[in-house]
Amino acid sequence: MAASVPSVQEKWTGKVREVTLGALPADGGTRGRTVTVGGENTLPFLHFEGEVPHRPAIAIEIWDHPPEDWSPILLEAWGDVLQDVGAWAKKAEEVGADLIALTLDSAHPEKGNTSGEQARATVRKVLEATTLPLIVYGPGQVDKDNEVLVAVAEEAAGERVALGNCEEGNYRTIVAAALAHGHLVIGKTPIDVNLAKQLNILISDMRLDLDRILMDPTTGALGYGLEYTYSVMERLKLAALMGDSMTQQPMIVTTGFEAWRAKEARVNEGVPAEWGDWTKRSLLWETITTMALLEAGANIVVMRHPEAVKKIRQVIDKLMTKA
Amino acid sequence: MPAQQVVYVERGALLQEAIEAAGIPLALPCGGQGRCGRCIVVVQEGQVRRRSVARLTPQEVEQGYALACQTLVEGDLVVYVPPQEERIVRLEVGLAAEKEAPEVVVCEHEQAPWVAKCHLKVDPPSLADNTTDFERLQRELVRQHGITGLVASLPIMRKLAGALRAEDWEVTAVVEKGTWASSQGPPRLVDIRPGDTTEHTLGLAIDIGTTTNVVYLVDLQSKALLGRASAYNGQISCGEDVISRIIYSQRPGGLEHLQQLVLNTLNGLIDELLAAHGASPEDVYFATVAGNPTMIHLFLGLDPRHIRLEPHIPTVNHPPPVRAGELGLRIHPEATVDCLPGVGAYVGADITAGVLRSRMSEEEPITLFIDVGTNGELVLGNKDWLISCACSAGPAFEGSGVVSGMRATVGAIQEVWINPQTFEPTYETIGNAPPKGICGSGMISLLGEMFITGVIDKSGHVNRSLDTPRVREGPGGGEYVVAWAAETEDKKRDIVLTEVDIQNLLRAKAAIYAGMNVLATSVGLELEDIERILIGGAFGKYIDIEKAIEIGLLPDMPWDRFAYLGNTSVQGAYLCLLCPEHRAMVREIASKMTYLELSADNSFMNAFTSALFLPHTDLEQFPSVREKLRNVERLGGS
Repeated sequence: MAASVPSVQEKWTGKVREVTLGALPADGGTRGRTVTVGGENTLPFLHFEGEVPHRPAIAIEIWDHPPEDWSPILLEAWGDVLQDVGAWAKKAEEVGADLIALTLDSAHPEKGNTSGEQARATVRKVLEATTLPLIVYGPGQVDKDNEVLVAVAEEAAGERVALGNCEEGNYRTIVAAALAHGHLVIGKTPIDVNLAKQLNILISDMRLDLDRILMDPTTGALGYGLEYTYSVMERLKLAALMGDSMTQQPMIVTTGFEAWRAKEARVNEGVPAEWGDWTKRSLLWETITTMALLEAGANIVVMRHPEAVKKIRQVIDKLMTKA
Repeated sequence: MPAQQVVYVERGALLQEAIEAAGIPLALPCGGQGRCGRCIVVVQEGQVRRRSVARLTPQEVEQGYALACQTLVEGDLVVYVPPQEERIVRLEVGLAAEKEAPEVVVCEHEQAPWVAKCHLKVDPPSLADNTTDFERLQRELVRQHGITGLVASLPIMRKLAGALRAEDWEVTAVVEKGTWASSQGPPRLVDIRPGDTTEHTLGLAIDIGTTTNVVYLVDLQSKALLGRASAYNGQISCGEDVISRIIYSQRPGGLEHLQQLVLNTLNGLIDELLAAHGASPEDVYFATVAGNPTMIHLFLGLDPRHIRLEPHIPTVNHPPPVRAGELGLRIHPEATVDCLPGVGAYVGADITAGVLRSRMSEEEPITLFIDVGTNGELVLGNKDWLISCACSAGPAFEGSGVVSGMRATVGAIQEVWINPQTFEPTYETIGNAPPKGICGSGMISLLGEMFITGVIDKSGHVNRSLDTPRVREGPGGGEYVVAWAAETEDKKRDIVLTEVDIQNLLRAKAAIYAGMNVLATSVGLELEDIERILIGGAFGKYIDIEKAIEIGLLPDMPWDRFAYLGNTSVQGAYLCLLCPEHRAMVREIASKMTYLELSADNSFMNAFTSALFLPHTDLEQFPSVREKLRNVERLGGS
């Protein structure tokens, strides 16, 4: 007697919006390639059910000055390039980045308070050092974010840079800069489906096209609320697939930042011997955090360690292989 | 009527321009966008084209009514421009969105109140008739008023001999026939006075709100409402919501202090009312009290701590009648103070009284009753079933916790329009007095206007890039100036709405809207299934349904499904004060109401965060607001 297995395929009415980072010379930019994410009409990697037209992209995070509070493991992995943002960008491209995520940390009032002019010079240098599309983050302080991101937007006009982060209380200036100079924005909200949707609405109310908005739902590392952020991302993805237009933005997650601030990755003193080798443990922390969030539906992962990037690239290769 | 004038304008010009050219003042509060309906005129002869007929019924259009700001001249016309007052009156009467609340509803039952005064002429005793004073009084009460089995307390007994003899055996006995707890009596002698004092038989209906206290002074014989007074609850200095009051009550002496504060507030209001009517505390023989469970506990000096702690158990839902004297309420010490029954820890007598007042529990249609107080309570149901929930809305709509907030009294801004090009406001105050602050209905109106005109974004943040001095950076973030100090009553401070105020208002409206959603879902209904929505609360004289929908406080439904009932808690207390039958009904309501605990799962939190947006994260739920936003966009607003 022939057994029949009922089909488990879902037919979704919506899909994630396609967003392209970077612009080729023909389109007003100077990038050697562009990166398009999103476009899937199924849950992550369910190739049997729907289309997953674009691979998740890996961005490597670089800073405009040597990060003082980074783990020695990261500092050792990158070595001398930490001293020079251009060299760092180049190296990041070599180790397998799809995108460069530049953080203008030196503009923070307590970490150098560098100016918009300095930010221009930095972004110019990175644009010249790499042909990859850019993500540029301000230092995370409202006034300085606005100052340096406006400068960057002007300097990199037409390059389709993703500027971040817009937040509910501070998005107008950044969105206006993106509108004026042809960029994208990243909206970041604290682990909540409604808040993510609301920020997308606020940004699009300023007439920025929806194909220029990425959303960062805020995540946690393995052991630090990962399952909670996983479920919020999953709910956002489900809402998008069910046709809720304002949740259809591709998701970007900063797994490198999250994983490397977890105690397990950050320290090795006074930890139980069973925790094992520090370096291996730290790399696993970043890799597993990233893998989990890819499964949750992340479209761009922002990472830190070259070895973790290499592993994730293999993971993505496998996940994108149709059975 | 102003003299007839002839003016010439180009074909295709707006009527408004022609009226300006004639030098007739015509206010355009909404900036000539056809939103407010304040520029209504009558086209008596000639051809016009109406770009919009907002706020006009088809019959009115038929009769020639038109909005001057939306009507184009297509040829020679005769136009009547009504004087300003006439236009406003028309709006107040005809505008379906503005719902005015009655002060009380009249009780149609035949029953007399619990307390009555009995005027008696008593046969003096003699050696042949040596019955005691008290038995003599009892005998006459049976004979003249059919009242049997009278009892009296010792303090009244002590007055008896003197009172009977002071006016030659003519007395007035104040008799309480019973209370809800002893409806069959025995009747109790509340007071005995020499002579005929039947002209003053007073009672009180009291609403003890977390933020606002209201007292109605009522004539128990004529059932007339003699006066009303309200004030902020003196306990506010010890915390704005019930939870912080409960925490305060746990300090040493805290409970006694809170009880004293609310008594002070009530006694002040009572003194004020009695003075205005030339009456004394001794003339008030009954008080009916409504309030949420925490307020009732504090009023009675009951420890409220277990209301806050799981599993949230009040000491009593239906407190026994007590004497005013033992409580410290400044009326006749023998008067009964009757606290109405509650349902549970967070749904109290204010809600059962409100439901009684709303009559939803007597009628067929599925009704949602909303009491917007510091705690927002909702009741859904009809004559067969009732389910309720409570959500913490905060005191913002009562004018507390908002920088320029005030209660709905003279000088409160109750309506605002904002011109979307200049961002200049036009406002109206209660009593047309110089403004002192903004009351609940004013805040709904203002918030709606700020949102529709783009002064704030959908998350309530002020758009600081607008080119107007009305928008500025205040001590606590962005703010919008509704009235400059020079316009105000005391000429000292600008009347503003700050971003912090706006967040408080958003939280309040989101809590209420989310509560509605969860409550409806819990019984398998959609919001559209609700046939009518009755609103109680201390917003002011009226609530503007249109604006309340704009900000997402109320669901987007036809305006005729809404009614505003005013302070339903005190109105319910008023009915119970006057009528034992209503008093029995409120007990029935309390016993049949189901309580839904919103904190039991996370569906409320999810509904709350999605409602924490203007009008709502899901704009599909507010099609009329979406349409309005499109229109403003089309007409060149921001």
